[in-house]
Amino acid sequence: MKDIPNSNILLFKSCLVSVEYPGIESSTKYVFDKIGIDYEVNSRQTCCTGLGHYSDIFDQMSTSIIGARNFHVAKDLNRKNLVMLCATCYAINKKVANILNNKKETRNEINEIFEESNMGEMKYKEGDIDSSKNIFHVVDILYSKKEEIAKNIKFDLSKFKIATHHGCHYCKVHYNDTIGGIRDPNIIDDIIKYCGVETIGWYDHKITTCGSGFRQRFVNKDLSMDVTLDKLNSLKNDGVEVLVHLCPNCHVQFDRYEKYIADTNETEFNIIHLNIAQFIALAMGADPYKVVGIQTHTVPIEPFVKELEENIIETENKQEIVESDNNV
Amino acid sequence: MSEIKENDPITIKLEKEKNDLKIGVFICRCGGNISDIVDIDKVKSSIDAEIVEEFENLCSLNGRKIIRENIINKNLDRIVIAACSPISHEKTFREYVQPLNPYLMDIANLREHCSWVHDDNPEKATEKAITLIKASIEKVKQSNPVDPISYQTPNSAVVIGGGIAGMNSALSLAKQGINVDLIEEAPTVGGNMAKIGKVFSPIKIAEECGLCLLNPILNEFVWHKNINIHTNSKVLNCEKRGGNFTLLVEKNPRYVDSDKCISCGKCSEVCEVEVNDSWNDGLSKRKAIYRPFSQSYPDSYIIDIENCEKCGKCVKICPMHAIRLKAEKEMIPLNSGSVIIATGHKLFNPDLRPEYGYSRYEDVITQSELGRIMGVNGPTKGKLKKLSNGKVPKRIVMIQCVGSRDEKPGGHKYCSKVCCMVALKNANIIKHKYPDTNIIICYTDIRTPGMYEKYYKHTQQAGIRLIRGRPGEVVKKNDTLIVRTEDTLKKEFVEIEADMVVLSTALEPSEGTKEIAKIMDIGVTEDFFIKESHPKTKPVTTDVKGAYVCGTAQDPKDITESIMQATSAAAKVSEMIHQGVEIEPFIAEIDQKRCNICEKCIHTCKYKALSIKDDEMHIDPVSCSGCGKCLTACSENAINIQGNIEEKIFGTIYGLLKDKKEGERRIIVFLDRIGYTTTDNIGVNRVKLPESIYVVKVHSVNRVMPKHIIYALQNGADGVFIGEYPGDLMYQEVEKKMNLIQEKIAENNMNPERLEFSNVYIPYFRGLAEKFERFDDKIKNLEG
Repeated sequence: MKDIPNSNILLFKSCLVSVEYPGIESSTKYVFDKIGIDYEVNSRQTCCTGLGHYSDIFDQMSTSIIGARNFHVAKDLNRKNLVMLCATCYAINKKVANILNNKKETRNEINEIFEESNMGEMKYKEGDIDSSKNIFHVVDILYSKKEEIAKNIKFDLSKFKIATHHGCHYCKVHYNDTIGGIRDPNIIDDIIKYCGVETIGWYDHKITTCGSGFRQRFVNKDLSMDVTLDKLNSLKNDGVEVLVHLCPNCHVQFDRYEKYIADTNETEFNIIHLNIAQFIALAMGADPYKVVGIQTHTVPIEPFVKELEENIIETENKQEIVESDNNV
Repeated sequence: MSEIKENDPITIKLEKEKNDLKIGVFICRCGGNISDIVDIDKVKSSIDAEIVEEFENLCSLNGRKIIRENIINKNLDRIVIAACSPISHEKTFREYVQPLNPYLMDIANLREHCSWVHDDNPEKATEKAITLIKASIEKVKQSNPVDPISYQTPNSAVVIGGGIAGMNSALSLAKQGINVDLIEEAPTVGGNMAKIGKVFSPIKIAEECGLCLLNPILNEFVWHKNINIHTNSKVLNCEKRGGNFTLLVEKNPRYVDSDKCISCGKCSEVCEVEVNDSWNDGLSKRKAIYRPFSQSYPDSYIIDIENCEKCGKCVKICPMHAIRLKAEKEMIPLNSGSVIIATGHKLFNPDLRPEYGYSRYEDVITQSELGRIMGVNGPTKGKLKKLSNGKVPKRIVMIQCVGSRDEKPGGHKYCSKVCCMVALKNANIIKHKYPDTNIIICYTDIRTPGMYEKYYKHTQQAGIRLIRGRPGEVVKKNDTLIVRTEDTLKKEFVEIEADMVVLSTALEPSEGTKEIAKIMDIGVTEDFFIKESHPKTKPVTTDVKGAYVCGTAQDPKDITESIMQATSAAAKVSEMIHQGVEIEPFIAEIDQKRCNICEKCIHTCKYKALSIKDDEMHIDPVSCSGCGKCLTACSENAINIQGNIEEKIFGTIYGLLKDKKEGERRIIVFLDRIGYTTTDNIGVNRVKLPESIYVVKVHSVNRVMPKHIIYALQNGADGVFIGEYPGDLMYQEVEKKMNLIQEKIAENNMNPERLEFSNVYIPYFRGLAEKFERFDDKIKNLEG
């Protein structure tokens, strides 16, 4: 496996996370603190342009300039390892790094713009940020510290039926950087195993998109909802209670629209949606409101939390899980 | 520009030495091709040699008589032939100068490089002819007699792999009187063809029994006295010396004495261990003592020692006392002149496409497994059955390109070539036996070239449906498999219900293929198939001289093509054995006293010609190209290239420049055989060349050293042009070297622009002529 950093990390804020589910960011910080990650969140960093970019509002040039600026912030803070909360930031920033490193003309053009704007210090030098070696998703960091995670799990999750949804922009854009498979993505499943529970693994439509497709959700709503419906139906057939995500956009699609889809199709779903960081934070005993932010969710998380808290692990048991996993 | 400097130490040496040599110059009129343009009388009067003779057709047998008589009567030491290109007649004249050593002769090319490119300027052509002859005279003065190296390989070959390709090449060699050792890792020969079931015949539009076609080949192969078969064996090590291979083969025991075993099968009856039978793709069970299949060879049982519990029941029941539980592995050293690699392929692991559910659903199988199911010697004795419940499937969907034509990580970008025909064949067989079966093939493109197209049409007429689309997923709903795909012709999304789904998995190099490439240091493609020397003209040779490849070890192919390539590889081995290999003697030699075995030369040699043998550095004469790269790597000056090449290049340069006239421009062009042929094409097509261009043929352009170029430029050459074919293994080395030489030119206070490097291609002779023209123009306007 490639080298995954645990220090000099700039935890890259995400618009969707901040606006929709701020608990994802606070949960990530909570978990990072527990497993000993050196990171910082910085207010100088801006949006990656992702949503706007995929809705044709920001072209690639603007996106690349903004990327170069954010890379400068990271370098300036001596935090060259950029770690993304959102799969879209992940894919966008990787692409920008590749453009800045490999397309000399674009790089020069961007550097000229910085110069003209009196921001010469932001100029990008070839190789400043390596797409593969400096840009990661939070799941990559969690994956590299899964043994540490296992040591901090407080609740027994084994009674829940859990499935995972891996965002397309983590699995299907930069194939060669994806950990845990692209055809049967398994990185979240693997992390969850270290939380003491096996997911259901493969299910019908596991690799299908969430359906949001950025503007598709708004301009092709029926198609968008149909895709999500297929996936929800499949999860329901398998009796899944928790769907664990890595991308806030997928998270929005499922959590915000689950009831709408159920109503329009005259059916019912009882699947809750958690980001992997929220899931781990809850399992580690974090405050469901102050840290995990479950009050921002549409599908209520409270029943899950209540059930979870009834299953606290005795210290000896916890040790057993860790050991048995080490034998895997 | 300057002219020959009389005080240059190199010039002094060249002028002083070897002036007592008697040189004979023979000019060919070439039926007017040369003499109509070049004034032969003027040429004759301008040349200073022991004798200067002219003849109408020097290459004729009468020409030989004249040359030979003069050599004997006048005691000639060196010969210059002024005629056509050495590419056409070098071999002829090397023979005509006997009893003189063939390498004491040189050809001045008065036709392609002179009369044909200057037919509008007889005066210039005559002057150039004189210069070219003088250059050849100076060159032959520097020549030493060298013996051509005739290399005879032993009358034996090793074939690695006992599938259809390996067996056919071994058989072909054996029938030509060559002793063959065939090494097969499995306990039996036969390879994939033995388990394929039926094969298709595009002409008869019918399917035939694969084993019935294989059997006559197998019988002939097994009984041939020149073939020695080593099953259960693999190559551990391979060393190459002088075109000779020494292989170390590890032979694992069968634990059953093949000479005694009568294949009665009693041992298998009493054996209580049951394991998956890999010959049936794990679809049935076999015992720990077993016979792979009924026609397997050697005709005896074998013990799968990993699964054997050593209960001894088989030992007791064997009426022939053939079982030896304590047998040990054997090491067999093999020597051979050539090696044929026929290590074959394996199939893509369908679990790498998890969306097709191969491991999740029992009734998702591969074409290979379907082949076993349909085979009368297979797990169901030829009955089509679902593996889940034994029922006959009514609806079958086949998915093409599983692992082929796939750009994502884990897939193969190439087309596996045979899968379309395999799917059509299996669909036809099923349709024939079970006409009610509904079969759909989901394809990317149907690739059935040539006669196979007829078979494709036949399949369509038999009622098999084809949907153009690559399925995304296979899922199971209520005991029915569902294949989701887009019908890309109708542009609609379809869900196809099926009882059985068959995956047409890609062909990929077998582990054995990858291993042998590593052991023998043979180049592989990006997909790890054995790489042929040239995909068009050298389809069976590899980058290791004497090692050939055939069958699916080289790339995906069907049985027909495998057999063709196998016999072609055998023919190449036979050529080497029966004709020997004549090698130009201008190759490296090692001074063992100086060599400290630092191995630097081994790593620099692009032709893999160097190795260590018995604690001494060894050069394989068959592989060495004489490029001289190793000379630069050797800090001890322990390597030398035979044949005085450096001096000959100096001599040629001196000869080309010594009569240079005031205000004249002379550009020396160094080309190897490919570049020289390209320039010949300029002449053959009567394209004009600048008068300043003088072409020198060298063995390898890498042998033209900075000191040669500096000498040329300091002594009258206005420019030096070096051309190299980009397919040459040394191309990049030479290209890199050019910058260094230009720096050296600048250090000597000359304009580095006077050196030009260019790629050359035989068909682009017009392009080369234009490059000469441009370079001549550039030199004309150059200062310093």
